[in-house]
Amino acid sequence: MDPECSRLLPALCAVLADPSQAVADDTCLEKLLDWFKTVTEAGSSLLLLQENPCLVDLLSHVLDLKPQDVSPRVLSFSLCLAGTFAAQEDCFEYLQQGQLLLGLFGEAGPLSWAAWSVPTVRSGWIRGLRSLAQHPSGLHFLGNSGAVDALFSLQGDSSLFVASAASQLLVHVLALSMQGKAAGSPSSQGNAWPACAQKIVDHVEACLCSTAAPQVTQALNVLTTTFGRCHSPWTEVLWGQLSPLVAHLLESDPIPAAHSLVDLLLSVARSPVFASADCGLWETMARMLSCLSPTQAGSLALGILKLQHCPQALRSQAFRVLLQPLVCILRATTQAPGPPGLLDETSAGSSMMVDTLLSSKSACVGLLCQTLAHLEELQPLPQRPSPWPQTLLVEAAVIILQLCDGSAVPSSSEGGRLCGALAGCSRVQRAALDFLGTLSQGISSRELMPQVFAVLLETLESPASSPMVLKKAFQATLRWLLDLPSPSSCLDLGPHAPLFLRELFPVLQKRLCSPCWEVRDSALEFLTHLTACWGGEADFREALLASEVPKLTWQLLRDPESYVRASAVTAMGQLSSQGLEAVSESPGHPEVQQGLIGELLHILSMDSEGFPRRAVVRVFTEWLRDSHADVARDTEWFVATVLQMVSQDLDWEVRAQGLELVRVFLVQTLGQPNPHCPYAVTLPKVTPPGPLPEVLRTLCQLQIIDFAFRALFDCDRPVAQKACDLLLFLREKTAPCSGLQEPGNSSDVTSVEATLHRWQAGEQSQPLGNLEPEELLAALRSLDLEGFQGRLAESSDHVEKSPQSLLQDMLATVAVLEENVADCY
Amino acid sequence: MPEIRVTPLGAGQDVGRSCILVSIAGKNVMLDCGMHMGFNDDRRFPDFSYITQNGRLTDFLDCVIISHFHLDHCGALPYFSEMVGYDGPIYMTHPTQAICPILLEDYRKIAVDKKGEANFFTSQMIKDCMKKVVAVHLHQTVQVDDELEIKAYYAGHVLGAAMFQIKVGSESVVYTGDYNMTPDRHLGAAWIDKCRPNLLITESTYATTIRDSKRCRERDFLKKVHETVERGGKVLIPVFALGRAQELCILLETFWERMNLKVPIYFSTGLTEKANHYYKLFITWTNQKIRKTFVQRNMFEFKHIKAFDRAFADNPGPMVVFATPGMLHAGQSLQIFRKWAGNEKNMVIMPGYCVQGTVGHKILSGQRKLEMEGRQVLEVKMQVEYMSFSAHADAKGIMQLVGQAEPESVLLVHGEAKKMEFLRQKIEQEFRVSCYMPANGETVTLPTSPSIPVGISLGLLKQEMAQGLLPEAKKPRLLHGTLIMKDSSFRLVSSEQALKELGLAEHQLRFTCRVHLQDTRKEQEMALRVYSHLKSTLKDHCVQHLPDGSVTVESILIQAAAHSEDPGIKVLLVSWTYQDEELGSFLTTLLKKGLPQTPS
Repeated sequence: MDPECSRLLPALCAVLADPSQAVADDTCLEKLLDWFKTVTEAGSSLLLLQENPCLVDLLSHVLDLKPQDVSPRVLSFSLCLAGTFAAQEDCFEYLQQGQLLLGLFGEAGPLSWAAWSVPTVRSGWIRGLRSLAQHPSGLHFLGNSGAVDALFSLQGDSSLFVASAASQLLVHVLALSMQGKAAGSPSSQGNAWPACAQKIVDHVEACLCSTAAPQVTQALNVLTTTFGRCHSPWTEVLWGQLSPLVAHLLESDPIPAAHSLVDLLLSVARSPVFASADCGLWETMARMLSCLSPTQAGSLALGILKLQHCPQALRSQAFRVLLQPLVCILRATTQAPGPPGLLDETSAGSSMMVDTLLSSKSACVGLLCQTLAHLEELQPLPQRPSPWPQTLLVEAAVIILQLCDGSAVPSSSEGGRLCGALAGCSRVQRAALDFLGTLSQGISSRELMPQVFAVLLETLESPASSPMVLKKAFQATLRWLLDLPSPSSCLDLGPHAPLFLRELFPVLQKRLCSPCWEVRDSALEFLTHLTACWGGEADFREALLASEVPKLTWQLLRDPESYVRASAVTAMGQLSSQGLEAVSESPGHPEVQQGLIGELLHILSMDSEGFPRRAVVRVFTEWLRDSHADVARDTEWFVATVLQMVSQDLDWEVRAQGLELVRVFLVQTLGQPNPHCPYAVTLPKVTPPGPLPEVLRTLCQLQIIDFAFRALFDCDRPVAQKACDLLLFLREKTAPCSGLQEPGNSSDVTSVEATLHRWQAGEQSQPLGNLEPEELLAALRSLDLEGFQGRLAESSDHVEKSPQSLLQDMLATVAVLEENVADCY
Repeated sequence: MPEIRVTPLGAGQDVGRSCILVSIAGKNVMLDCGMHMGFNDDRRFPDFSYITQNGRLTDFLDCVIISHFHLDHCGALPYFSEMVGYDGPIYMTHPTQAICPILLEDYRKIAVDKKGEANFFTSQMIKDCMKKVVAVHLHQTVQVDDELEIKAYYAGHVLGAAMFQIKVGSESVVYTGDYNMTPDRHLGAAWIDKCRPNLLITESTYATTIRDSKRCRERDFLKKVHETVERGGKVLIPVFALGRAQELCILLETFWERMNLKVPIYFSTGLTEKANHYYKLFITWTNQKIRKTFVQRNMFEFKHIKAFDRAFADNPGPMVVFATPGMLHAGQSLQIFRKWAGNEKNMVIMPGYCVQGTVGHKILSGQRKLEMEGRQVLEVKMQVEYMSFSAHADAKGIMQLVGQAEPESVLLVHGEAKKMEFLRQKIEQEFRVSCYMPANGETVTLPTSPSIPVGISLGLLKQEMAQGLLPEAKKPRLLHGTLIMKDSSFRLVSSEQALKELGLAEHQLRFTCRVHLQDTRKEQEMALRVYSHLKSTLKDHCVQHLPDGSVTVESILIQAAAHSEDPGIKVLLVSWTYQDEELGSFLTTLLKKGLPQTPS
């Protein structure tokens, strides 16, 4: 431990032990515990206690206080702290000698105090025991101190946090007591379980037989965690012993704690211990699938289908359960039946499904959303059922969307009722669009495309579609368009895409004019992605240029909403990269005269918000990288102009992005950074456009050097870091030039250094002036850039986070706590 | 048993990160989704694993409601929606929707810059999260779905802060968020109507405090600033971009105007221009005075307050600078502080809360030698002042709100346990209602007895009116009808309408009774005698003798038959429908008395 911390610790312990002193907030105590945990993990706890007796004094003092005087926060902290120390067996013995642990965790301790009613204390008690239960002595202590019984009752605690922690601890204790017993695992006849484990197993058994649902839930939760965490052979014996009781639960109607039961069965099925064994699990699962309500059965079915190994019959049953709601929807509408075996099955389950779907609007919405989400999750998995009824699923998603937007024509009374329940339901629309988007993957047939595109267009066009629905519709459309076969030629797009595009652009146009910024933004994001992928396609270019979309996008550069302006900048950047901005040809637009570059520079210098300015610099960086025609015309002027604006920017992310632009420029001018790996393939070197001194002179004239040096002392760390990397790169690239004549007048370098020092001290008003290449090189050499890099790499709040700072703050706060009453943001 | 369940995941007996789960009539709502500024790891966010246990978040939660833009109420939102995976609707007021992303963005930049955190939500995530927001107007009833509705009320506290009423059927909960019952310089006082919710969830930051007049604090603040600039010192006021900054700007602007002071006042960041823009935009959310004077002069167009340039910090002479962030933990405010800290003529005024570890926290706790990066020690000679301008209701204000809303029970959040306990007792004594104060993770369950609204069909009412009795407001009257439960609603209609709507056929239920009479005459003659008797007795009813020999009185059918064993006894079979039960019973009684002797 840091000597300064050792010095501060006694005072802090004294404060904590004194009930009349108000202690800083919970976060400080939590951070203090974090620190002790780090210290004890790195070294001997016993030594720590011996060197800092104030810690043991604190624990004893807390026990000596009158129970009513104890602050629950300090008590909870002390319990956690004692547990942290006792995690090491020698330290445990040391604390036990003074009966401290029994005092803190035994029946006569806080368990029986009034403070026990405070959940933080109960939580601290459990956390303390959890830390302590690491070794046989700790386990023995738990068994003998009555703690396990207390944990049983804490499973039903009024606090979720406490109840859950108690349950977790029981599992930990069970696992700990079984540790090393793997070879001689207990027989199913019992008696061979260690005492502590036996106690827990008995308790779980009793709970499983209980008629009270909370008790059953508690037992199931303990078992779920056990099978999830422990994969030793004894778990198989445990399941063998308890599975009849679990199976028995299925005989009740309704099934108690169905949700927890599903979790348990899946947890057992996932355990590698049961990979080859059957142990009646599949049968139980099959039974459960058939008797659960459709909503509950859905999650079990999904879990089964995600299993790596599982009997085919059960998988088929699970898949039928999962598909049933969609099958009902298709039946109730005019759709042709899907593959045999999925639709022609009439079972008790399916009539229950219809009942659920039609019972109420919320039941229908809930079940459909859940089903769609489950299938969406399953779609990309390798273990999804095969054959995968892609066509049926696409049809179902399309029909659901039609039911939502009111365009479906129901063929039966059920269909009519479904129409009523789903019409205008944006929740189902969102889920269906997400699902439909995923279904674009692996679509083999083009047959369904007209239907899909039609429903997407309908949704995009509908005035009733909410902004979120539109966003998802754009995303789904994008996925379907991008998942079309590679557009190497127009013919490859097939007949649908060009047709669709012609209809899509008018809709996009309308959405770019939406009064909701969310919609305008989603439309712009869609346009950007689509252009990036399809910008070279003749059909796409033709449809885009025939529309008003480029012009509207340009207009959105002046949108009142900054998010939209930023997206418009990105979209225009992309359009321009592909030569699609088009507006420049139409006369009568004053803004067009100055060109897009002028407009973007205007945004960079004038926009009051960071997003659009950041977007502009990103676009410029891309343009520079791709040698965009407007940039290539006069790259130096371009870089100098951008940097002049960026260097004044208040947003550090704009400045950082500006440095990225500089980096691209330097790489283009000086070549790639040298590979540091000796085995790396050396790329052919870019030859600088002229002799190095000339290049350096240009860099200085363009104010690139001034910008980079200023950025090195930026008050925002990422900017300084980036500048440092940049200067290191520059130094490396100019190293061959080190033979360059030293500057004749050394006072020039001194003045540069002096300016840099002033900048470092925060006085940045003085300019660096026009540097000569020699001065630049000298300045680069004189700066300890590696040292800078090291300091910057260390998060700048490491001082704040240090334990010393924490101890100082906690001590200092005590005096003023009463003065500054709680004030909240 | 219907019930309301409330579980705080944050703000239960603490003032950290507000996040309260409410379950009402089967609907689950999350109230606020705040972040704890005191932690740098996952502990800064509420522990959402307790909700994700219940399956997919979007299926479980019906909506999230954000009361106002402070990060301890909305800071975890992008994490929750974009990283944990909630995809449902988020409700907040228009100003909150506009300002929330600025503060989230501000915090993100600091987290990434200062702490170098990579695993934090991104700008894009904030935007995507904001797209899920549905903005609401004050007093507008918003239908989340067919059953769940919400309504916002003015809460004061900060621009756009709202209290929310959540209602399902006849059950309702009101959540106050943070509120202020006394108007300040730029905002009005919280207000709610007498909505009598089943439960009022109220903040209790100042549960035991009766705050001194804000005027005194303002005077004190102005005096300190004035004294410092008079002696040539510089005043630094670290603030967050929005909220208190605007209040203090108005205060200084007015004072400068009145005193005709020439010392420059600067705002260090572009963010505040935007913030002021929002105050202008949402002028209706500010207090009456600002709204009134708005026509003559916009209070937020400051004459004396100018944008700050980094170079100004080195200028000689006095000045006042508002700089972000408010806890002196990074960026401009910290940079200026470093420059000015060494001069005892200068002053720093901290107008808000600072978390442990920040420079703001250190100087407020009296530390004067601060170790900065690179082990440099910064000696703080400038004066340090703490001035609380936080706009929370004090104990009196909380009691006032409870009195206004008249809830059936109260639940306290966002406060310290000890203070809450005091207030809890006070509320229970004064209002005779139950008051709860669950800790984080504890669930409070309130049984409710919902009254279920039933619609009555016009036809049925007209039928009732046709009977000639005019309804009286205070006199209950019995009304017969058929109760239909359809599409989650209840309606009382006439049985005919019910049959028609449900497509059902009517079943006739007839009561039959046998009356034995000593008579030796033939059945036909017997029936004729019955007919004559009834015809003469029941003059107002339609009595008919049918060709098959049976007699009818309205729907009642009487047939005569011979006794199977005793020819001296005749049996009269009387049957009637449920509707004519009264007449049927009367006839049976009448016939049992026997027929009048006919003159032989």
